[in-house]
Amino acid sequence: MSRVLATYNIKGGVGKTSAAVNLAYLAARGGARTLLWDLDPQGASTYLFRIKPKVRGGVRKLVRRRSDVENLIKGTDHDRLDLLPADFSYRHMDLALDAAKHSTDRLARVLEPLRDDYEYIFLDCPPSISLVSENVFEAADALLVPIIPATLSSRTFEQLEALVEGGPQVLAFFSMVEVRKSLHREVMARLRATHVTMLGAAIPSADEVERMGVDRTVVSEIAPGGRAAIAYEALWWDVRRRLVARGGGA
Amino acid sequence: MNPTGTDLLLPGQMTPAAVLDALSTRLSLRDGAGAQRDLRFYDTFDGLLHAAGLAFVHESGRLALVSIDLGAEQAGMPAAVAPGRVLARELEAGPLRDALTEIVEVRALTALVRIHSVERTFGVLDSADKTVVRLVLEEPVVVASPNRRLPLAPRIRIAPVRGYDKALGRVRTSLVSDLGLQAADRSMLDEAVIATGATPGGVSSKVDVALAPDQRADSAAASILMRLAEVMESNLPGTIADVDSEFLHDYRVAVRRSRALMRELKGVFPVEQLTRFRVELRWLQQVTGPARDLDVYVLEFDALRSGLAEPTRSELEPLLRVLRDRRAIAHREMVRELRSERAAQLRAGWPAFLGELVALPSDGRPDAPRPIGELAGERIAKVYRRMVKMGRAIDDTSPPESLHELRKQGKELRYLLELLGLALHPGDVVKPLVRALKALQDTLGRHQDREVQIATLRSFRDDVLTLRGGAGALMAMGVMIEHLGEDERAARAEFAEVFAAFASKPQRALVAETFSS
Repeated sequence: MSRVLATYNIKGGVGKTSAAVNLAYLAARGGARTLLWDLDPQGASTYLFRIKPKVRGGVRKLVRRRSDVENLIKGTDHDRLDLLPADFSYRHMDLALDAAKHSTDRLARVLEPLRDDYEYIFLDCPPSISLVSENVFEAADALLVPIIPATLSSRTFEQLEALVEGGPQVLAFFSMVEVRKSLHREVMARLRATHVTMLGAAIPSADEVERMGVDRTVVSEIAPGGRAAIAYEALWWDVRRRLVARGGGA
Repeated sequence: MNPTGTDLLLPGQMTPAAVLDALSTRLSLRDGAGAQRDLRFYDTFDGLLHAAGLAFVHESGRLALVSIDLGAEQAGMPAAVAPGRVLARELEAGPLRDALTEIVEVRALTALVRIHSVERTFGVLDSADKTVVRLVLEEPVVVASPNRRLPLAPRIRIAPVRGYDKALGRVRTSLVSDLGLQAADRSMLDEAVIATGATPGGVSSKVDVALAPDQRADSAAASILMRLAEVMESNLPGTIADVDSEFLHDYRVAVRRSRALMRELKGVFPVEQLTRFRVELRWLQQVTGPARDLDVYVLEFDALRSGLAEPTRSELEPLLRVLRDRRAIAHREMVRELRSERAAQLRAGWPAFLGELVALPSDGRPDAPRPIGELAGERIAKVYRRMVKMGRAIDDTSPPESLHELRKQGKELRYLLELLGLALHPGDVVKPLVRALKALQDTLGRHQDREVQIATLRSFRDDVLTLRGGAGALMAMGVMIEHLGEDERAARAEFAEVFAAFASKPQRALVAETFSS
């Protein structure tokens, strides 16, 4: 049975896609069969893997399980890492979910036939609070929440914890960190002291992360051994450790 | 290479470099990682994994069960050193042990072949520079011994990328039609096994001799016995080296089948040699008996013990120690006999005699020139009738020996049906008869095995008592003996029903019609 991990934040532009893509890559590189589902209609992670953002039959058929999800999956350039691509019709995913029965666990049901095939399934989520995010909370074992260490981030974090109470494990990590900024340092210290679910690893704001969109690959290939690559490795190690601590495989 | 047909061989004169040149003019390629692989393959003596389309391999600190074309791994576990021999039951509990046990059961995996392969992987790219197919150029060398390296033909493996089937088809067509590469009809592993002079799929202990009903009986007997002698010969080294318990088992089955055939077809042999070789084969059977009996005890120990509840179950450990010690002694004694001058003479003399049997004068061998179909039918009908008569005479008051005698006849009939009946008579009659017979034999066998097990357990009492924890073990053995006794009685109670099916009126009529001439 696979672990389902969703990179999620209510806000956009905080590093969700970068985290999903780089962590999924590391999971696969470590030997685990891994799937990334790009749920964002913008299709950023699909683009990064050079795959066409196209799902035959669109979102309606997919959430009603009228399409054979196994035939929609594409292999990436990396061993063991597959992608379920984004599709422009995903912008209407809320409507499609709302129209279906059991509207909050449709995504979990779509994943059901894949859960024996993959050790990890990553969900790259669009920023919002919607029926899509409710479905994500239902399907995921853990939410990986990138947080930019700025003034309002602590509030965002607390809102989220309240939102998913009793649902998936929440694992937050700092993203787009600029250590030279004293504000970033202060916020990080405060949140780490007050929130046990805050992961230790922090992803720096680095050139190689920005280059991902140009080179269309993972940071470990753009700058192997670079700051960002090492930070993602540390993050992945930390995530796995926390998942283990909660019991079960990984 | 094989079932999936993803391996291609280069045409005669073409070097790997030339193929790559030609490929890069047709396809957009990304030169990926190169790797040197050191693969050690294993299989059972009789090729059980090969038959299941699988391979067992040690590579870079890992043991794995993979498809025979070295594709997907089905199960694996870390193993720093390549083992000499692998017994499924000795592996750490986990998916690999489970998957392996299901296929090979008690058989040991031994080293089959070692391959060094230099690999280069190329990505075939689409217009977005996305890898849509991978090509792996392999240049394998069989390492037959440190000084003997046998290069195999280079091959290109086409590795699909999920969701890009059309591209896969296009690339394959381009390689085959444009460049003249050919689908390999054997896997790299099979090629390697052939290069070492062995046969892919291992050594079978099946008899499967083609016979014609009008063939001379002595020639038919000689071919079957010759094949059985071959089975004995091929299983002897593994029996002596104690690779796994199946070598001895298959060896003994071949001896027993040979003896049954000689008894049933005695009229095709000259009296003097018949007598001599029957004595010799019986001797072989006897000297291998104790080792096999103890093999069975050790193998069945867990099953026997599982009938007991804790703590009685764990108290049985001393018994297992006694069984293992006795087994080791029995095995040593058996090996001494199998290496004796007497055994050597039999190994040489028996096939030599079979080879000249047909050419010997027919005097004193009245059945030799008769058609085997007729003779076999006669024997099958006769043994069947004898069993029906013996079985009918058995009731609740009959001594256990009467069931043992019936079982012996049942074995005789089974060998006749397997060695001759299946090849010479209609399968739709022989197969159901074999099934009915098997049901009867299972019941009779259980009855007798339990009785023997009880007697044997009792014979271990003194040895067990001398060990630490012996008193507890003795009590546990008492419970076990009780369970065995119950099962023996249950088997006896089932007898009437299974025998009735075996000896039913329609069955009797069918046997009379099919086998009597």
